[in-house]
Amino acid sequence: MVCNMGVTKVIEVPIITAEIPIGPQHPALHEPLLLKVYADGEEIIRAEVNTGYNHRGVEKLCEKNTFYRDLFIVGRVCGICNTVHANCYVRALEYLLDARPNNRARYLRVLAMELERIHSHMLINAVMAEIVGFDTLFMQIMLDRERVMKAKEILTGNRVLADYMIVGGVRRDIDEVKRARIRDLLLKLKPRVEYYKKVFMEDETIVKRLVDIGVLKPVDVTSHSLVGPVARGSGVKIDSRASDRYDAYDEIPFNVVTRTEGDSWARMMVRWDETLEAINMCLYILEKLPFDGNPVPDEKRLPRVIPHGESYARVEAQRGELTYYVMSDGRSPSPYRVKIRTPSFNNVINSAFMYVGLSIADVPVALTSLDPCISCMERVTVIDLEKNTRYKLTLRELAGGKV
Amino acid sequence: MRRPKILGLVLRNFAKRPATIQYPRVKTPIEEDSRGVQYADLTKCTGCTLCALECPADAITMTPIPQGYEVTAKNPRRIYPLIDYSKCVFCYRCVKVCPVNAYIVTSKYDIAGPTRISSEEYSLSTLKKVS
Repeated sequence: MVCNMGVTKVIEVPIITAEIPIGPQHPALHEPLLLKVYADGEEIIRAEVNTGYNHRGVEKLCEKNTFYRDLFIVGRVCGICNTVHANCYVRALEYLLDARPNNRARYLRVLAMELERIHSHMLINAVMAEIVGFDTLFMQIMLDRERVMKAKEILTGNRVLADYMIVGGVRRDIDEVKRARIRDLLLKLKPRVEYYKKVFMEDETIVKRLVDIGVLKPVDVTSHSLVGPVARGSGVKIDSRASDRYDAYDEIPFNVVTRTEGDSWARMMVRWDETLEAINMCLYILEKLPFDGNPVPDEKRLPRVIPHGESYARVEAQRGELTYYVMSDGRSPSPYRVKIRTPSFNNVINSAFMYVGLSIADVPVALTSLDPCISCMERVTVIDLEKNTRYKLTLRELAGGKV
Repeated sequence: MRRPKILGLVLRNFAKRPATIQYPRVKTPIEEDSRGVQYADLTKCTGCTLCALECPADAITMTPIPQGYEVTAKNPRRIYPLIDYSKCVFCYRCVKVCPVNAYIVTSKYDIAGPTRISSEEYSLSTLKKVS
């Protein structure tokens, strides 16, 4: 370039951005997700979320199996939230059958789901402690989590995979001895959770690594459809338990916990507060468990044919709102369609904007604060049922154009 | 730097026994009615195959009862449900749907090993051998 001012050459210095793939196998990630971040020095300027490493075709599997076999398949979509998945599917079937379980069964369902919420929230808080490099706290929380796993084993017969829900009720009843044992375990757990909440509030390591990391404004939360504790950590009061009042949530008192800070720390504190709320709800259920009949239906006499129709159920899973769409053609013993939309799908894919401006070391912290559950979210095929056409959507369109 | 909040807890833990259970030398404490190995009692089983149809993991295959066992008249086809425990998810659907309540449930869970394990030995042990 020749210029009048005597400049003969312009050298363009490009801004060098480093592309850093985090995952799908990475020491800081516990789940198979590829988070591709572009960094200018230490600062993240762009992030991409790539998924698809854990797709198992569960929805297709549901179409190939009978309604009742599906009950155990949907419970295995995700280990941590198997009870809520099964509950949502069972309620979708109950809406089609127009069946309603008795009060005792409804209370026991909520008990199982709340026990699961306690152990899930304790797990992600423990993982967060590990991610920030506080392994001692991780070990301690996991040790105390064993108490609630034991309570779940007493209630459902298994530590993790409960297989507790069935159309018209639950698959096991509890007696007075079991009730007292679960109550004892929860009463022992409660001071421990209060202690850990205090540690998360006051410990210097935790506070330094979590406060002001991955701030989400309430307007971003609503425009990007974020759900669950992520939304509640930013002051958006959204909770399917409070809005739908399904199962026995209409009779059990609880508060919807919200915080206004909107950072990673606020999301973890929302989880601790919800754990305490869940313990209180479990204690209330164990105290006020109604005796209005047998909650365990005879599985041999369940209706073999589900009437023609479609139903849509939603529950508040540990990570947010989980929805099931079930369609039956009225003739076949298998569902025509089962569509699952999990909370992690919204929370992980739609939140790529959150990482911009963070340093590289803060990326795992911000991701963990979303409580990602990749095995839940890997089902992205969308079929337009209204127009009766099938077409594929890009990930960008699926995520509402806000990737 | 301030004192870490968890220091007192860590120091108290030095005086406690280890929390880790040395499995398999020490057995994990487990509930008596937790869902463990289940197998069919062949004195009750009618060979109706309902459990094999309902199994969500396809772990049950109906297998002929070998010669040399006294089979009841209720089981004319001489078949029994053989559960492959490496496929079984222990959901107990088979136990609940059995029309004659033929399943025996246990809380045995330590079945992991180098060989495939099935319910053959358990189920056939419920039958008498022909002398």
